[in-house]
Amino acid sequence: MKHIGNLLASATLLAALLLPSTADAQCRSYAKNKWVPELAPYKFNETFNAAQLAPGEDAEVSLTFYSGQEYRILVRSHPILGEVNWKLVDGSNKIIFESLADDPKHTFDFKVASTQQLKVQVWVPEAPNANNMTHVGCVGILVGFKE
Amino acid sequence: MRITLLGWTAGISGLLLLQACGGGQPAQDTLNVDQAADSTAQARKQRTKAIFYNIPSPMETAALLKKAGAQYDKDILNDPNKNSSYTAASKQALNLGIYGADLSYASVYNNTHESMLFTAAAQNLAKQLNISSAFSQEVVDRMEKNRDHRDSLLNIISETYWEVDAYLKENQRENISAMMIAGGWVEGLYIATAVCAAHDTPELRQRIAEQKLPLTDLIALVSTYSGTDQSVAGVLNDLKALEAAYTGVSAAGGGSSVSQEGGVTVIGGSAPSASLTNEQLKAITEKTAAIRNTYIN
Repeated sequence: MKHIGNLLASATLLAALLLPSTADAQCRSYAKNKWVPELAPYKFNETFNAAQLAPGEDAEVSLTFYSGQEYRILVRSHPILGEVNWKLVDGSNKIIFESLADDPKHTFDFKVASTQQLKVQVWVPEAPNANNMTHVGCVGILVGFKE
Repeated sequence: MRITLLGWTAGISGLLLLQACGGGQPAQDTLNVDQAADSTAQARKQRTKAIFYNIPSPMETAALLKKAGAQYDKDILNDPNKNSSYTAASKQALNLGIYGADLSYASVYNNTHESMLFTAAAQNLAKQLNISSAFSQEVVDRMEKNRDHRDSLLNIISETYWEVDAYLKENQRENISAMMIAGGWVEGLYIATAVCAAHDTPELRQRIAEQKLPLTDLIALVSTYSGTDQSVAGVLNDLKALEAAYTGVSAAGGGSSVSQEGGVTVIGGSAPSASLTNEQLKAITEKTAAIRNTYIN
């Protein structure tokens, strides 16, 4: 009995250690196959910003955009989370573009008149039945540019 | 965070099943939780916001340089044959980024032969860093097969850079990732300044000046790991020294006005383009070369 208990504990530890990296790897694989193609005809900028988020959590990406280039920002979430809210803000947190979960827009195409830093802020709406379920899902923030 | 799952003996088989059945979609946890007793939910609520710093990739930097009129000069790039001399993990990570930048530069300018040499050098360093699964022989074979198709080759290089970076992050080796990114960024700036020294143009100066912005983000990224890794702390000091060379450079522009131009949304107004005085360019050029020299030797 004690032997089974030890085995169970070891299996649990192994699962707990492996799960986050496996989830991240599958998030990458999912993004590569499902989301990156949505950047076309823009070229993916090679940086994968993804986080495993739960309802109520948020993430932020700081980006430099160069004058003369055209960009596409793509924000996507795994279906288990549903749609997420996101916005593009300048250095003073002034909103330039916003997409809300009840009227989602997954992409925003633009160019900048002069090189500047902007931030993409994403937050996951609280789930209606948050009292008894915790969902964790992949959210990806991808950027494409035209060469 | 999900280490609290350890207490849930009933969830073990479900967890293992989730591991085994990952399939094409990312693994997601759907957990039945007793809210009163759930420390995971409480901990997640208290979690710091996930913040990322998106440093322009070597490919984007190389494309910008080409657009700015920079010429290709293979003599300024790192010697691919030196890859086996890098034995410390920190040097391997920095030079993986450096060879990645050189590879992007050579490929954007369609210099296939040199691209393949840098690919081999980078792949060997990836092997030394135990990240062969993200930069495998299969990738090299694909590149070889597409060596005469520039767009395909650039796509494979981009994909590989992404895979390597993501693999490192997923395997809790963010410090190595940060050093690779720093090495690549420094090499990109080195190429820009070296090319500018040979053929100075206002456009190149502008692009060099603008690097002040991602440098701020790079310093923030590297700072995250400098407390626990002495090599990363050294890179942080290098970047701060470079930041000092940028003192007085005005790179931030724009503003957040939004307008339409030929059907494209344009952000920002009529801020002047970033520029550099001769003294500023000299200081940045010399500091970048000095830092890069310590990385490649």
